[in-house]
Amino acid sequence: CDMPESLNVGNGNPSIPIINERTLPKFLESARMEKSVNRTNTRLKLFSGTANPALAQEIAWYMGLDLGKVNIKRFADGEIYVQLQESVRGCDVYLVQPTCTPTNENLMELLIMVDACRRASAKKVTAVIPYFGYARADRKTQGRESIAAKLVANLITEAGADRVLACDLHSGQSMGYFDIPVDHVYCQPVILDYLASKSIPSEDLVVVSPDVGGVARARAFAKKLSDAPLAIVDKRRSGHNVAEVMNLIGDVRGKVAIMVDDMIDTAGTIVKGAALLHQEGAREVYACCTHAVFSPPAIERLSGGLLQEVIVTNTLPVAEKNYFPQLTILSVANLLGETIWRVHDDSSVSSIFL
Amino acid sequence: SGYAKCNLPKALNGNARVPIINETTIPKFFDSSRLEKSVSRNNTKLKLFSGTANPALSQEIAWYMGLELGKVSIKRFADGEIYVQLKESVRGCDVFLVQPTCTPTNENLMELLIMVDACRRASAKKVTAVIPYFGYARADRKTQGRESIAAKLVANLITEAGADRVLACDLHSGQSMGYFDIPVDHVYCQPVILDYLASKSISSEDLVVVSPDVGGVARARAFAKKLSDAPLAIVDKRRHGHNVAEVMNLIGDVKGKVAVMVDDIIDTAGTIVKGAALLHEEGAREVYACCTHAVFSPPAIERLSSGLLQEVIVTNTLPVAEKNYFPQLTILSVANLLGETIWRVHDDSSVSSIFL
Repeated sequence: CDMPESLNVGNGNPSIPIINERTLPKFLESARMEKSVNRTNTRLKLFSGTANPALAQEIAWYMGLDLGKVNIKRFADGEIYVQLQESVRGCDVYLVQPTCTPTNENLMELLIMVDACRRASAKKVTAVIPYFGYARADRKTQGRESIAAKLVANLITEAGADRVLACDLHSGQSMGYFDIPVDHVYCQPVILDYLASKSIPSEDLVVVSPDVGGVARARAFAKKLSDAPLAIVDKRRSGHNVAEVMNLIGDVRGKVAIMVDDMIDTAGTIVKGAALLHQEGAREVYACCTHAVFSPPAIERLSGGLLQEVIVTNTLPVAEKNYFPQLTILSVANLLGETIWRVHDDSSVSSIFL
Repeated sequence: SGYAKCNLPKALNGNARVPIINETTIPKFFDSSRLEKSVSRNNTKLKLFSGTANPALSQEIAWYMGLELGKVSIKRFADGEIYVQLKESVRGCDVFLVQPTCTPTNENLMELLIMVDACRRASAKKVTAVIPYFGYARADRKTQGRESIAAKLVANLITEAGADRVLACDLHSGQSMGYFDIPVDHVYCQPVILDYLASKSISSEDLVVVSPDVGGVARARAFAKKLSDAPLAIVDKRRHGHNVAEVMNLIGDVKGKVAVMVDDIIDTAGTIVKGAALLHEEGAREVYACCTHAVFSPPAIERLSSGLLQEVIVTNTLPVAEKNYFPQLTILSVANLLGETIWRVHDDSSVSSIFL
């Protein structure tokens, strides 16, 4: 096992694994061999917004850099003020900021940071957005609606970003909303590597998509998990943020069911899906997702006992008060750090995921 | 000293109320503009929608215009993302969206942008953002290196979202209009305040108009000119940090006079209150504070109600929560002014002639 076992000894405090040289995940080993470029370039600068400073710091550690100094504060009336505390003239700047709750605050902060870098004569500005807020507002479901994901893409471009790195966008088509290059960073390898370390025999596994929209994602996941069989929860949603389970397509009797989604928001979909899987005879149910949005009442639902483990990544910060015994948080810092290095060096990014 | 004929209802006791100006008490500055009205206003292609920031003002504007506010569903998802759906067709319409971008600034701004995007995608012919208070307006230049110019960024975002035009009240600097690549109608709210002051029958020989800082002298001078060409005084202050004010000295004379301080925004009220203290030290008999935008960030209410000010006269470009009312507060309405401006924009009539 290359990965340290997540310490889940009954205290209930999951630890965020810090991956070091000796425990580099398998998928980065082959990537490491391709590394051939000089990485002492002082022209690369990494800055963090206030949304997830812990992740940004981890990325900086992986890259062997210090985070750039920046002053971010709020005026008495809530307006955001940003000043870079070091020169970025001629630099390749990466701004790490997920646009999670408080969504509009974090988005505006990112836009103002981009604008500040642009005006400070940065040569290139890349918005590193581990969680892209408004990603699900990616189409009109009724007349006379906004397409907020497209609007946000336009705003980021208008603010002056040259490129975007985003993790697990809700729909692949969202990349097309941007008029600038978008590197889509897939976080599944981090979760797959962790699952592989748990030594669940592959004959016992069934990968489950909690809704019909996510079948493609789940199938890709199942393929990489020793070509495991697939099942689908067919649900009908009668309102925003409300889920309703109908029936299961496929068989999970006696199996370990692994539900895969890109995000867990209020957790209605996952928990009702898990209940259905247990009714259908699943032995254990795991939930895996990249983005731990965890809007109320997600924590109560997820810790209700239906799930053996809830495996998420740190694209968004999870407040310590929201930890619960089944929760495991994996880090995407190394993955993002590696991607940033390759973007900077104009090396291949997609070969990380082959 | 009895009052002369008063066109505006006087604010009653300790409860400041927003005066609803009706036909019989139309302000003087509308008398002349009313004569110019010559166009038909039955056009059903005009639609007025409100965001959630100041629905009371939007409703007043609609009443003035004789329109119903358009129906719109605005809600928040569990994770804070904003969802907007227009509940009536705007196809081919000239749409006006009323939304000040006041606290919570970024929420209200994002809501406006999503409303603009929704109108654009619903095939509105024209979309005008009516922004009575323009958040980030004071972030209009770099004061140190490596800063954003957030006012310019916001202008770009509004244009990018799809607005065709902006109506904004009393922008902090006139230059901000130049940040937009679309037409901006700058609506001056001074006439509303001037008309109210005129109704108070303070004799013009007693008046001194005071600018609370050197940046606002041009605004105060324009105000003084219209207030029977009253004399001007300036508080010369030095600011050592954001939202912190420090008074140094007074340029001009206010001894025995009624001082009327004029600013565009009262935020934390440090500038106004320290200025008022200085004016009293310099012998002013009474001090009034007038401004358009009642931002009133903490600790503004405590400062303003502490007794240094005879009256604090503001407009309703931003809503003032009822719990923030205090005895000296008077809130005037800019609804008629905005309604008139919207009609003229819609009809392609002159807007600036309102202010002649």
